Amino acid sequence: MSHETWQEQLRRGSLDLAILLTVSSGPRYGLSIIQHLEAFTDLVVTEGTIYPILGRLTREGLLDATWVEGEAAHPRKYYRLTRAGSKRLDHMKREWREFADKITRLIDAAEGHDHAAH
Amino acid sequence: MQLTDTGESRVNGYLFVLERSLKTFLPSDTVRDAVREIESHLRERIAAADGAPNERVVLEQILGELGPPLRVAQAYSAERTVDEAVATGRFVPTVRAVTHLAATTAWGFVLAFWLFIGYAVAFAFFAIAILKPIFPNNVGIQFVHGFPVGFGAHFPLEPGVELGGGYWIVPLAAACGLGIFVGTHRGARRMLARWRERRVS
Repeated sequence: MSHETWQEQLRRGSLDLAILLTVSSGPRYGLSIIQHLEAFTDLVVTEGTIYPILGRLTREGLLDATWVEGEAAHPRKYYRLTRAGSKRLDHMKREWREFADKITRLIDAAEGHDHAAH
Repeated sequence: MQLTDTGESRVNGYLFVLERSLKTFLPSDTVRDAVREIESHLRERIAAADGAPNERVVLEQILGELGPPLRVAQAYSAERTVDEAVATGRFVPTVRAVTHLAATTAWGFVLAFWLFIGYAVAFAFFAIAILKPIFPNNVGIQFVHGFPVGFGAHFPLEPGVELGGGYWIVPLAAACGLGIFVGTHRGARRMLARWRERRVS
């Protein structure tokens, strides 16, 4: 696997979590979600591909989507976390932290070994 | 930013291509909703670019960041068709998802080829089971000089070919067809599920 492929898989693998985290603080519409993600991460490479993911998360029952008219010049589709989405997010956060801790420990151990060898 | 007629045409052209591409794979209500959401995104970004001097440059930048319509349509199709096929297991969504993968990935094409053969053989057996009671003298096992050379329907039966096999062929063909169909369908669903696990966007 090339380094680019690995990076791409890492990015794709974290997008669901990133989107759920973004809407966990309150309802947001598509562009607002994208702008939030762009402000904190570089996970969004092509803006248009975020919408299909939002659609899938909605179909899976993790997000709830509602069109709101009159708030802006054009209707906006707002997404909010459902109860199932909130539960899933808690699991994902816990698993992410555990995973990151394990990899960090592995990196520390490897670097410690390198330092000892030198 | 208030768009000129040229700018409006560019936006409408983008949405038109997107809609046409989505219609290939998705139900019309899903297409309408998706196009409406992408248009909302575009209008919002265009409105935010108020005061920009060059409409064409700004518009191309916005559309570029959104992604080519075919790329966006592909992402929609991948998310929707494969999910529906894996979740429901229904025949039409499965065929639709496999067709989509065949059109977009090399291994999807190979998979679609083998699945097509599987489904075709299954339907051939079903056809034999249905045709046997209607054309009992044309459907069965074909023998030439006492050796079996084929199984199926022949219209008309060629000279020198004798037909064997009674009505027991009906349940046999139906069972074979069902077995091959279920096996092929399960294989397709499993492959799609595996593909879904590997992709995210």
